[in-house]
Amino acid sequence: MLEDELKVSTRVIGNIAVIDLVGDVTTFAEAKINAAYQEMSQNGAQQILLNFRQNDYINSAGIAILIGIVTEVTRNDQKLAFSGLSPHFQKIFRMVGLSQYAKIYQDEQEALTDLQNAATA
Amino acid sequence: MHNGKTSIELVVPSILGYEIVARGAVATFAHFIGFDQARIEDLKTAVSEACINAIEHGNQLQPDLPVHITSSYDGHRFTVEVSDTGTKPFGTITEPKTIEEKLAGAASLRGMGIMLMAALADEFLVEPSAAPGNTVRLIWYQCEVAQP
Amino acid sequence: MIELRLPSRLGYERVAMDAAASLASRMGFETDRVAALKTAVSEAVTNAIEHGNQHNEAMKVVVLLTVRGDELIVSVTDQGHKAIDAAYVNRVPQISEAMKRDDKGGWGIWLIQELMDEVEFTTAPSGGNQVRMVIHLER
Repeated sequence: MLEDELKVSTRVIGNIAVIDLVGDVTTFAEAKINAAYQEMSQNGAQQILLNFRQNDYINSAGIAILIGIVTEVTRNDQKLAFSGLSPHFQKIFRMVGLSQYAKIYQDEQEALTDLQNAATA
Repeated sequence: MHNGKTSIELVVPSILGYEIVARGAVATFAHFIGFDQARIEDLKTAVSEACINAIEHGNQLQPDLPVHITSSYDGHRFTVEVSDTGTKPFGTITEPKTIEEKLAGAASLRGMGIMLMAALADEFLVEPSAAPGNTVRLIWYQCEVAQP
Repeated sequence: MIELRLPSRLGYERVAMDAAASLASRMGFETDRVAALKTAVSEAVTNAIEHGNQHNEAMKVVVLLTVRGDELIVSVTDQGHKAIDAAYVNRVPQISEAMKRDDKGGWGIWLIQELMDEVEFTTAPSGGNQVRMVIHLER
């Protein structure tokens, strides 16, 4: 249905909490994304990767949700990264300034490798 | 969720190619309603055939003549109405000819559109509009009627 | 010209996005430009639904798509229940400011202005808000 275009799931790889976002990131995504973040935080996650997949629609309401996550991550002294964004949304995330607070990786593998290296360095 | 009637309206010029835009808009709408991909494919083909008919036949490819597409949903029934301005009447629609009849030369090869629309929609009818023009109405029911 | 009339319900902006994208692709716009157009159309239509028409489904959002030579002109008109706040036009939002606010939104109009080649905010003869945006085909 209209309001249910996003699937959010979580997994942990090493010391990285991965939140997979498949579908549309709009105003309807708020509860799901926030719940996934809270769940990972309560489990003690220090590094969080928002892994986008097949997201051809992220709008300004979705961006506002992500700014909310960035705010929480900064407050809780966690580290946040994004992966799997299309070139268009990588550009939008840079324009908005999200890239100042969270590194943008091309794909999940690149993100996991880099984040794990950074953690062990 | 979708309570009550919701509709989208679209007006396109009578230029071949615009049926693709119309088909896409109606498909997006059907996707919201929760139609599965197979039905959406049926719907896309039927809607583009209806638009091509309106563009080529009803409006005789005159770019300035509009084709109106109204798509509505009332909770269980998804209706698409495609209207032209009726420069040329749709003609008498009899039972759609089968492919066998067409290949045997018993019916015109054009007119496949009508056969497709009749086959792909749950209900299909052609009626003259109130204003001069033809309206094709295509109806899909969201749920199949359960067999007793 | 294509005219689209949509109910003021969030989600229906995608009908306009897809119609605009389909037309732009046929005109020969590159993938990244089509993506930019989709974002701009989405923001303009969601603004119309949320602000101009205050989520009143009976009010329509009218989207006109016009091909003129090498440009695609998109106009989005609402029924003007609430005017666009002039303070949002030509304002550059800052993420550091947004992070301090409860409402972290307010990016839509700026995104439209950043992504389209020409953008104009006017009042339609009907009294509604009208956003007119143009994207040029670069050859």
